[in-house]
Amino acid sequence: MKNLARLGFPAFLIIMAVLPNMLNSRWQAVAITFLIFTVVALSQDIILGKAGMFNMGQALFFGMGAYITAILNSQYGWPILVTIPVAIILPALFGVLLSGPIIHLRGDYLLVVTIGFNIVFVQVVQNNLGGITGGPNGIFGLDSISIFGKQLTDQLSVYYFAFVVLLITLGIMRNLEKSKVGRALHYLREDQLAAESIGINTRIYKIFAFALGAGIAGLAGTVFAAQYSAVSPEAFEFIQSVLFFSIVLVGGSSIPGVLLGVFVMFVLPEIFREFATWRFFIFGFAMILAMILRPRGIWPATFGKIPKFLIKESNHGA
Amino acid sequence: MDIFLQQLANGLTIGSMFALVALGYTMVYGVMKLINFAHGDMVAASAFVGLTIYTQVLGQATSLIAVIAIFLLSAMVMACVGILLERLAYRPLREAPRLSAVVSALGASLVIQNGIMLIWGPQMRIFPELVPQVYWDLGGVVISLIQVLILVFSLVLMIALYLFVEKTRMGAAIRASAIDQDAARLMGINVNSVIALIFIIGSSLGAVGGLFIGLYYRGITFNMGWQYGLYAFIAAILGGIGNIPGAMLGGMLLGLFQAFIAGYISSTWADAFTFILLILILIVRPTGLLGERVAEKV
Repeated sequence: MKNLARLGFPAFLIIMAVLPNMLNSRWQAVAITFLIFTVVALSQDIILGKAGMFNMGQALFFGMGAYITAILNSQYGWPILVTIPVAIILPALFGVLLSGPIIHLRGDYLLVVTIGFNIVFVQVVQNNLGGITGGPNGIFGLDSISIFGKQLTDQLSVYYFAFVVLLITLGIMRNLEKSKVGRALHYLREDQLAAESIGINTRIYKIFAFALGAGIAGLAGTVFAAQYSAVSPEAFEFIQSVLFFSIVLVGGSSIPGVLLGVFVMFVLPEIFREFATWRFFIFGFAMILAMILRPRGIWPATFGKIPKFLIKESNHGA
Repeated sequence: MDIFLQQLANGLTIGSMFALVALGYTMVYGVMKLINFAHGDMVAASAFVGLTIYTQVLGQATSLIAVIAIFLLSAMVMACVGILLERLAYRPLREAPRLSAVVSALGASLVIQNGIMLIWGPQMRIFPELVPQVYWDLGGVVISLIQVLILVFSLVLMIALYLFVEKTRMGAAIRASAIDQDAARLMGINVNSVIALIFIIGSSLGAVGGLFIGLYYRGITFNMGWQYGLYAFIAAILGGIGNIPGAMLGGMLLGLFQAFIAGYISSTWADAFTFILLILILIVRPTGLLGERVAEKV
C-alpha cells in the first residue's frame, strides 16, 4: 500500500498533466469538472474528514467564490485571476463568521444548520438580493482568463488553471497532515475531551478548519466560473453539498479515496450516459453498500507515521 | 386581523402535516440517534402509492370507504417499506461510526426518491380530489373542509400516539430503548422489535402526512420529499429531537411561522426565514424547546 501510494501519486499527477492533450473538447470539459470537484471535495474533507465536523453546506462556499468572481468580473471589470484573493478571503471570512456561533453544537444539529446556510444562500442568490446576483438566471458572459494581457480563450488553459489549483490544494493537504494544526485536528476529531485536556484550543482549530475549507472551496468556485463563463444558483444547491459530503465519507477521507469518490460520482455518469436517469438510484444503493461493507470508507485515512516500537507495545496501532 | 386569522388557519393545517412527518424523524432519532434522511422521501412515496391505489385498485371511487381504504393501504405499504429500509440500510450499521449510518440514510433517500421517478416519471402528478370542496366563510376568513379534516385527524393521531407511548407496555419499551438500549435489553426488552415498531409507526404517520400533502396541495412531484422532510426535521429539532410532544409542538409552531411569513412578508423568503429561526433557536437553546440536555456520544 505504501509503495503504491509513493509510486501512484506522481504517476497520477503526470497522467493528469498530459491527459487533456489526448482528449476531445467534451472530455476536456469532463476532466475540468473532475479537477474542480476534487478540489471542493478535498476542502470538504478538511472540515468533515480531518476536523470531524458534520458540514453539509460546502456548496455554499463553492458558490460564494464563483459568485464573487462573476460579480467582480461582470460588474466591476476585474480580470478573472485578480478576483482570486477576494474569492478566497471572503468565503473564508464567512466560514469564520458562520461557524463561530454554531461550532459547539452537537454533530447532527451542526449538520442541519449548515444545510440551512446553504439553502439561505441559494435563496438569497435566487431572489437577487441587492440586484447583483442576476436572480434565477445567474450571471453569464464572463471574460476568459488572461495572463499579462494575453487572452487564454481555449479550454486547455482553463484545464491547467484548474490543475494548478488542484496542485496547490494537494500541497496544503499534505502539509496539513504533517503540521501542528493537522495533528491538533486529528486529536480533536478522535476525542475532543482528551484534546482539550492536553491543551488544544479545540474551538480555534475547528473555526480554522472551517475557514481553510471555505477558502479553498471559494478558489474552486473561481475556476468553476471561469470554465462556464457563467454562474447560476442551481449549481450550488444543497444536493451538491450532499454529494460532496457523501464523496468524502464513501471515499474515506484520504486523497485517493476522495479522487475515487469524485470519479465515481461525476465522471462515471458521463461515461455511461445511457444510464443517466438511473444515476442517483444506483448511487444510492452504492452508498448503502459501501457503508455496510466498509464503514470507514473505501480508502480510509491513516494518520502520520507511528514508530514501530510503539505499535509493538500497544494494540492500538494506526 | 383577517390576514392574521386566515394565516392562523393555514398555519395550523400545514403545521399538523409537519408534525405528523416530524414524529417519524423524532421517534427514529430518539431510539437510534440517526437522522432518517429517507423519511421525507417515504412521505413523498406515500402520496404516489395513494395515487396508484386510487386509480388502479379502487377504480377512481371517491366514497368515504374508498378514502379510508386509500389511507389504510398506503400506511400499510409504507410501513412495510419502512421495515425493509431499517433491515437493509440501517441494521447492518448499528455498531458502525455515526457518519456511516448518515451516508447510508442519504443513499436510501436517493434510492427512494429516484425509485419514485423511475416508476411514476419525473413530471408533476395531480392528486385526486377525494374530499369535496366545501368552504365556510367566517367573517372574511375562509376555512375549507379539507383543512378541518387534516387538523382534526392529525390531532387524533397525535393524541393516540402520545397515549400509546406514555400508557402502554410497548410504549414504555420504546421510552426505555430511547434512554439506554443496553439497559433496556437487560430488562428483557427486545430492542430489535422496538426499532421495527418505531419504523412501522413512523412510516405510517409519514404516509398519512404524505396523503394530506397530496390532498391539500394537489400537485405531487418525486423530489418533494426533501422539501417537506427538511421542514419536518426542522420542526423536530425546534421541539427538541427525540421528544414526541416536542415534535408536535415544533410542527405546529413551524407551520404557523411559515404561514405568517407567507402572509406578511413573502413566500419566496420562507426557506431563508425558517432556517434563520432554526439557527437562532439552536444558538439560544441548543437542545430545542422541550429537549433535555444530552451529552453527545463520541
